[in-house]
Amino acid sequence: MNAIIISAILGVVMMYSGVLTKNTSAIRNVAIVGLIVLLGLNMAEGCGYQLFHINTKGMMSFEKYGLLFNSIAFASTLIYFLLSGRDIEKVGVYVAEYFALIFFILCGVAIVTSFNSLLLLFIGIEIISIPLYILTGADKRNLKSNEASLKYFLMGSFSTGIMLMGITLIFGATGSFMLKGIAPLVTGAADAPLNIWLVSGLLLLFISMAFKVSAAPFHFWTPDVYDGAPSVFTSFMATIVKAAIFVAFLRLFDGAYGEMKGAWQSIISITILLTLFIGNITAVFQQSVKRMLAYSSIAQAGFMLFALFGFNEFAKEGIILYSAAYSLATIGIFAILIKMKDYTFEGFNGLGKSQPVLAATNTIFLLSLAGIPLTAGFFAKYYMLAAAIKNGTQFWLVIFAVLCAAVSVYYYFRVIQSMYFKTGNAETSTITPAFKYVLIVLAGIVILLGVFPQLLLSQMYF
Amino acid sequence: MNISQILFGILTVLALVSALGVVVSKNPVYSVLCLIVTFFAISGHYILLNAQFLAIVNIIVYAGAIMVLFLFVIMLMNLNAEVEPQKSKILKFAGFIAGLCLFLVIVAALKNADEKTQTQATQLAGGDIGLIKNLGRALFNDYVLPFEISSVLFLSAMVGAVVIGKKE
Repeated sequence: MNAIIISAILGVVMMYSGVLTKNTSAIRNVAIVGLIVLLGLNMAEGCGYQLFHINTKGMMSFEKYGLLFNSIAFASTLIYFLLSGRDIEKVGVYVAEYFALIFFILCGVAIVTSFNSLLLLFIGIEIISIPLYILTGADKRNLKSNEASLKYFLMGSFSTGIMLMGITLIFGATGSFMLKGIAPLVTGAADAPLNIWLVSGLLLLFISMAFKVSAAPFHFWTPDVYDGAPSVFTSFMATIVKAAIFVAFLRLFDGAYGEMKGAWQSIISITILLTLFIGNITAVFQQSVKRMLAYSSIAQAGFMLFALFGFNEFAKEGIILYSAAYSLATIGIFAILIKMKDYTFEGFNGLGKSQPVLAATNTIFLLSLAGIPLTAGFFAKYYMLAAAIKNGTQFWLVIFAVLCAAVSVYYYFRVIQSMYFKTGNAETSTITPAFKYVLIVLAGIVILLGVFPQLLLSQMYF
Repeated sequence: MNISQILFGILTVLALVSALGVVVSKNPVYSVLCLIVTFFAISGHYILLNAQFLAIVNIIVYAGAIMVLFLFVIMLMNLNAEVEPQKSKILKFAGFIAGLCLFLVIVAALKNADEKTQTQATQLAGGDIGLIKNLGRALFNDYVLPFEISSVLFLSAMVGAVVIGKKE
């Protein structure tokens, strides 16, 4: 509860800071300090220290797992503010409001990681989505940003409608919004035919959640929106928000529908197959690094879906590790991308000579996304595939995933090749020493998690 | 056949016909008017379900505020059948197929619904939960947490509206 209330209050604080001062770096510093407080209080709640005692009537439960994910999300956002905070200031004039919206999104993240009721899932997802529509269109004079925002808003509204319809049907079947109220109905139906309203409701809920995590065949909005949005906000959308919705997805299906996973696995395996295939194959043909990263985020979503396929301890640990590994690496790559003048692969030519620190850290992030050992991405992918293997069925899907990971190496290494083995003068905007230090620390965390993943995972248990 | 069944039949036919009218009619103004009729028919259904509050809110918010906004936009932009952009045949066909697929999936999921006679629609608290007094009590007791948290949602939407709408 600490995280939800404090992040909402911090959002209001940011709005007032915009009224009191026009100095954008002061606003940024307020945001960074606020985020540190938020992170600290969230960790304190993990140790049993609660600021507020609110009777949630069982609609939320704050367990270790959700709190750990909150901490990861807040820590990633902190690194994101430190790396790209200056670029947020350059997007438009309403700097304080952008920070406020980001805090509201974090409030939504904290809700969807600890909901017990479908009602709160809906509100949480909406609190995440609506500020994102606005951040996508933040660059008002850019026509592409406007188009992306409108597209995202229209498609997102439809998927919200589908989600509401699903929740309505589930409520009709069970008479309750609670995940606990649904679970006995599902288990009771193991031998009897499944309740028809429940199944159609679940189908609609699955579709809308798959839309939000941009799993194929509901991924069509992703490339345009990620490409059109200001790069700083794409970085946030593609990482922290996406991982949070995956946690919500897992919580929803784990809490209520774990028992009937036999009925689900065929649908999920088709979704994984399509997502991995479309994401990886289309990414190969992209000329712009930003658009390549959009498709790569679809491909990574395919891997994260393995957690839903597996439904076991490996899956739960894996999604934590995956979201940390994927978020940190992608935030790093976007931070470097924002500094580039030219977003195409050619724009990176010769970066290894002109900016060795940027090139070296970028290489580590790309290796992590590709899943090369000694980086966090390797263990993240390993846990996901282990979850699927432990599950015991449909072994071909694992083989397919490994093949897709091999394809992904091609387009990630194209960037590395441009940086080191091609001559050119990669133009960057001014790089401050502080930016470099944060990048080095971030790369250090990525490698540390790749060597000792238990550092993070052991937090789940005590 | 009692009076509520007859009313249900009339309202359902009205809702379906006017909903079809929204999609079929060429003139956008007729579409909006049909949509208003649909909302009124659905509000009638709410009253049959003993949910007065929902019925009134549906009329005030949807048929009142949102539809008037729709009409204003359509009239200000002077849209009519002539200026409506023509979609290509292939696009229409694709849309038709996609809609049919969704329809098929839902029909396939619901095709057994009639066979289960014991599957009754859930009735909460004797069916009088829709009365304003009971609804308020539920909202401020059982559902006070979602009610309060939705304030964050509205606040963020308001901030967003200002960010998008204000002149730079």
